[in-house]
Amino acid sequence: MQMERDISHVPTGRGDEVEIHGLAPHLHMTRFPTQQIIGYLVSLLLTLFAFALVAYHWLPLNLLVIVVVCLAFVQGAIQLGIYMHLREGRGTLWHLPVLGLAGFVGLGIVGFSIWIMLFKSGVS
Amino acid sequence: MSTPTTLPKEFQDQQESIRIMGFWVFLATDVALFGCLFSVYAVFRSRVALGPTPHQIFSLGPVLLETLILLTSSFTISLSLFAARRDRLKPALYCLILTLLLGASFVTLEIREFSHDVMAGHTWHQSAFLSAFFTLVGTHGSHVTFGVVWAIMLSMQLALRGLTVINRRKLYTFALYWHFLDIVWIFLFSIVYLTGIA
Repeated sequence: MQMERDISHVPTGRGDEVEIHGLAPHLHMTRFPTQQIIGYLVSLLLTLFAFALVAYHWLPLNLLVIVVVCLAFVQGAIQLGIYMHLREGRGTLWHLPVLGLAGFVGLGIVGFSIWIMLFKSGVS
Repeated sequence: MSTPTTLPKEFQDQQESIRIMGFWVFLATDVALFGCLFSVYAVFRSRVALGPTPHQIFSLGPVLLETLILLTSSFTISLSLFAARRDRLKPALYCLILTLLLGASFVTLEIREFSHDVMAGHTWHQSAFLSAFFTLVGTHGSHVTFGVVWAIMLSMQLALRGLTVINRRKLYTFALYWHFLDIVWIFLFSIVYLTGIA
């Protein structure tokens, strides 16, 4: 049995209703933890696949690095979506600014560090 | 079902919802911390001085085992939360304990790896690469260690007080923390270990 309800228009009386329909929180309750099991299996498969890519040298080095990093992002997204219940609770609209900030700061630091290091002749 | 609201149980109390929100803010600062450490690692990766290269020092077997352990523990904590939402205290508690045992075995394996490296003379004094490596992986490892201590306290509170409003929120934030560490480890495994050995 599954129940899934759209609670975007249920007034809570506390002024914290979510009004953007696409971002409305979603509660997905099931009798059996199907989602969790699927998430676990997919993350295991992705990990083993990335491992096999490296262990058996299936790809040239440059491409390999890109593929492995992309796989990591996919896995991270799975963890966020399935395990961290991103769309639940008073949910999405509460988290989005913080997640955006985290992504902005994190990717900013990493991205710009790598970018600046690409100018090999700069200092030395 | 005639529940007045379909909010998940952790969010039904507004005060606790705000605390969960605050925990997301903490996680955002942790993203910044790990972002810095990953950048440092990316910059110093090739600066091995007279020490070993990533290729020489990494062994993928134990690291793959650590990854599988952490992925499994992420799964068990999600089961714990699932059970808690269905008001089943015992399965929730057992899954939490299983999670902390898996976390402890992860830390044990990591300490073994590190002490193995140090015995071979590869300390973080040896090169910029090793400094960045030990700082990055060690910071993650200390987060997991802290998580294990947290899980011990939390399981005691669950055993003593049951699934109260406050304990539900604590379990929820712990699950968020644990999944976050799992995500960080996935990036560590991919970016540090896999591409290091490729």
